[in-house]
Amino acid sequence: MKIKSLRDLPQEIAPPRDLWPGIAAHIAPSADAVKASDVAAARPAAGRIVRLRWLAAAAALACLAVGMWIDRSLLPFPGKVEGGALTVSTKGAAGPALDVSYVPDARYQRQRAALLASLQARLNELPPETRTKVLASLATIGKAKEDLERALGKNPGDALLQELLVNTYQDEMRVLIDVHTASNSGEGI
Amino acid sequence: MTQAQAQSGEIDWEAGLVQRARAGDARAFERIYREHSGRVYGLCLRMTRDVQLAEDCTQETFINAWRALGRFETRSTLGTWLHRIAVNVSLSKRRKSGPVESLPDDDTGAIGDWTLETPVEVREIEAAIDALPDGARDALVLHALYGYSHDEAAQMLGLAEGTCKAQLHRARRLLRDRLGMEVLSA
Repeated sequence: MKIKSLRDLPQEIAPPRDLWPGIAAHIAPSADAVKASDVAAARPAAGRIVRLRWLAAAAALACLAVGMWIDRSLLPFPGKVEGGALTVSTKGAAGPALDVSYVPDARYQRQRAALLASLQARLNELPPETRTKVLASLATIGKAKEDLERALGKNPGDALLQELLVNTYQDEMRVLIDVHTASNSGEGI
Repeated sequence: MTQAQAQSGEIDWEAGLVQRARAGDARAFERIYREHSGRVYGLCLRMTRDVQLAEDCTQETFINAWRALGRFETRSTLGTWLHRIAVNVSLSKRRKSGPVESLPDDDTGAIGDWTLETPVEVREIEAAIDALPDGARDALVLHALYGYSHDEAAQMLGLAEGTCKAQLHRARRLLRDRLGMEVLSA
């Protein structure tokens, strides 16, 4: 093959052998040594505060909210941000290409629908700046979910992608719960 | 993921992988390796011209990256960050095997996209690049192949920008001699 620009030369060259086992052998001890407590201790103070806020909010929402994000079998269905308002999709959380374990059950869907129905009212109680912030966060999280779902569509059995998707659902829940907490206390987020 | 991250648009699944790898998740880091190993190995191979050395450099790059993940700033791209580590590792390994040449810090002006007068076979141009002296080849690979600016390439190589440009000027002259045609830069 002939080329005319040096930029056309391949930037990626596959290593002749899989180098990961050698890397894994070096990093495995440190990976194993990282315990949950170490991770928590290493988390920035702001992160701990966010987590504490979330825990407080979760307690206020009692078993409803806590059960929602802890239980992986109970996944939310996607909310959609349009024109500054939150609209609720009644479709299941999982696209057709996703693993069947991602489909939420009916009880969860009812609980989720109730929470999201009150969310719009909660948003209306918040200052405009905070509302904009929340909607931007939800939109970005929605984009992340779409990307992950698309990736899972290509590789449905990928456990890591599934886990990241669940994490993203959890992140969305944290934002939603923060909204409830903030609108109750009259504070911004 | 915090709301601040969500707002700044930094939520993508690579950022999620980095976050998980920082927390000690080797599986997430393996995914990062699978995603970036080709570009890292390609750079190492072009800098070292030795398959075994390039493999060593690639492994060391990812081992160093794992240890330094806590210092990775999400405002730079992961690929660029890994390339910076790969350049450091490759230069370090090469220093152990021989002296490093240096050039005077003379500015030869801007050099942009590198094109050839007529199309050339990939293997022929690769061989011509392989035959360049280390310093000239390093600057050429980072700037003309991987698209880093003079400033970025100079920083990665630990050189003054003028020295990097001088190396590029030298690379162009040598390529012209080896290929028997002018190497144009826009």
